[in-house]
Amino acid sequence: MLVTMTGVRLSYGRWPALDKINLEIRQGEFLVISGPSGAGKTTLLRLIWMGDKPDSGIVEVAGFRSDRIKRRELPQLRRKIGIVFQDFRLLHSRTIFDNVALPLQVTGAGNRIVQKRVISLLARMGLSHRRNSFPHELSGGEQQRVAIARAMVAHPFILLADEPTGNLDPEVSREVVELLLEINRGGTTVVMATHDPRQVPAGKGRFLFLDKGILRGADRWTELDQDS
Amino acid sequence: MSILQSAVREIALNLHSRPGARLITLLMVALAFIVFDTFLIISWNLESIMDKEESLVGMEVFLQREISTNEGRVVGDLISSMSGVQSVYFVSPQEAEALFRAELPGRTDLLDVMGNDFRLPASLQIIFTEEAMSQGRISDLSRQIGAIAGVEDAVYGEDYLPGLLKTVTTIRRLVILLGIVLVSSISLVVFYTVRLSVVRRSLTVDIMRIVGAPWWFIRVPFVIEGVLMGIAGSAGGLAMAAILSEVLSTAVTHRFMPMSWMTLVILLGAVTGTVGALAGSYEKER
Ligand SMILES: Nc1ncnc2c1ncn2[C@@H]1O[C@H](COP(=O)(O)OP(=O)(O)OP(=O)(O)O)[C@@H](O)[C@H]1O
Ligand SMILES: [Mg+2]
Repeated sequence: MLVTMTGVRLSYGRWPALDKINLEIRQGEFLVISGPSGAGKTTLLRLIWMGDKPDSGIVEVAGFRSDRIKRRELPQLRRKIGIVFQDFRLLHSRTIFDNVALPLQVTGAGNRIVQKRVISLLARMGLSHRRNSFPHELSGGEQQRVAIARAMVAHPFILLADEPTGNLDPEVSREVVELLLEINRGGTTVVMATHDPRQVPAGKGRFLFLDKGILRGADRWTELDQDS
Repeated sequence: MSILQSAVREIALNLHSRPGARLITLLMVALAFIVFDTFLIISWNLESIMDKEESLVGMEVFLQREISTNEGRVVGDLISSMSGVQSVYFVSPQEAEALFRAELPGRTDLLDVMGNDFRLPASLQIIFTEEAMSQGRISDLSRQIGAIAGVEDAVYGEDYLPGLLKTVTTIRRLVILLGIVLVSSISLVVFYTVRLSVVRRSLTVDIMRIVGAPWWFIRVPFVIEGVLMGIAGSAGGLAMAAILSEVLSTAVTHRFMPMSWMTLVILLGAVTGTVGALAGSYEKER
């Protein structure tokens, strides 16, 4: 099991943002976590990359346990996790190439390896011609593809995408979801948080629904489809 | 590229980004330090004035009554030839009486009581060189002087001018107190200014964290920035204070602060800048 959460509870102040979470994520899975705003989707993803630790319960990711992991081990864990955000979070003063290369540079990878890996990844994303541009010169969809390239550059075993289509129009959103599915077909586990699970075609993933911090296993996708 | 090379590159990139914001931070730090530097210059000059006052409090050597004016002057010459003695001034009995009347007008009745035959003893007022004072050779000298034939008693200034010394001590304490208050407030200003300039780049810290950069890789660029801002800001403040001091030097004669104080000022800038940058880079951490 790649990720295991048992009896997880996390509160910000009085109210639990997450409660009674029991979750297992298998290697190679495409997991869609949906729910309304404030349901705790971002918080759940934060627990996976250990940006937060649970108040009670245990999160275990690739052998690292939230109750045992040491501060200096956090970078090791995060190098194996790719993260994509709604607001892209690119470094504005750096070129596309440097943004994508960042995860390799912070581990001291050799120059040749960095060049090869970044250039081939940019080519796959259709961004080769933009490698010397700066983020603000790119469209939202292109920026998100750069962010996905950065998340994938160090060969993570899990890709966390928090509302990756939140700032994109429907056409571009479809392309981004397609890209995530393709990455998943390549063997990488993908966890995508979204308030609209219909973005992912039924049967292409496992769907979980978060409601006020409680995880519901129901396949919410069909229900939503019937509502509309 | 090794991780160290990457780190060096990161430091350079960091120092190149946001020149405008950095300039404002630098200006804030420099302005805070000008206030501090001005205080230091004032207290340094006050200190040297007080030093001079203290050194004017020399030694009073009372001569035996039988000693004539001429003999007294011979003793004076003997003392002035001693090393460590800057000047000797002979006070005749007549002068002593005039001085007494001038300095203690309320007590002239004492002289009158003593009658017309009474004469104050002649004395020698001795001022020592600064060198001798700082080397603590005064007690040695006073013993030597006391042993000279014709000398009745040698009294060091502190014994008869405690008032002045008390004032000087009080002023010194006040200056030190004010200095502590200023050092604390300057440190806080620099700390918060530098911290803020780092917090403004919390996105960079965030991204570095999620891509798995080791903690030192994230912080070293900010710490270096903090050190440099602290040093540049305090040095800039010193430079501006020096210009100010130069401009005012004709109107108010004074000295600029000594090298050792300037070094300490820059050190203070470096330390508070570093601590501020570190605090800023930890801001987002939970
Ligand atoms: N840093 C924080 N401090 C205080 N409360 C927080 C913090 N982060 C999240 N919360 C609270 O925790 C709950 C869950 O937040 P979370 O961001 O996980 O929701 P979400 O499902 O991602 O929402 P959205 O769809 O709007 O992104 C919310 O009630 C939110 O207000
Ligand atoms: Mg969210």
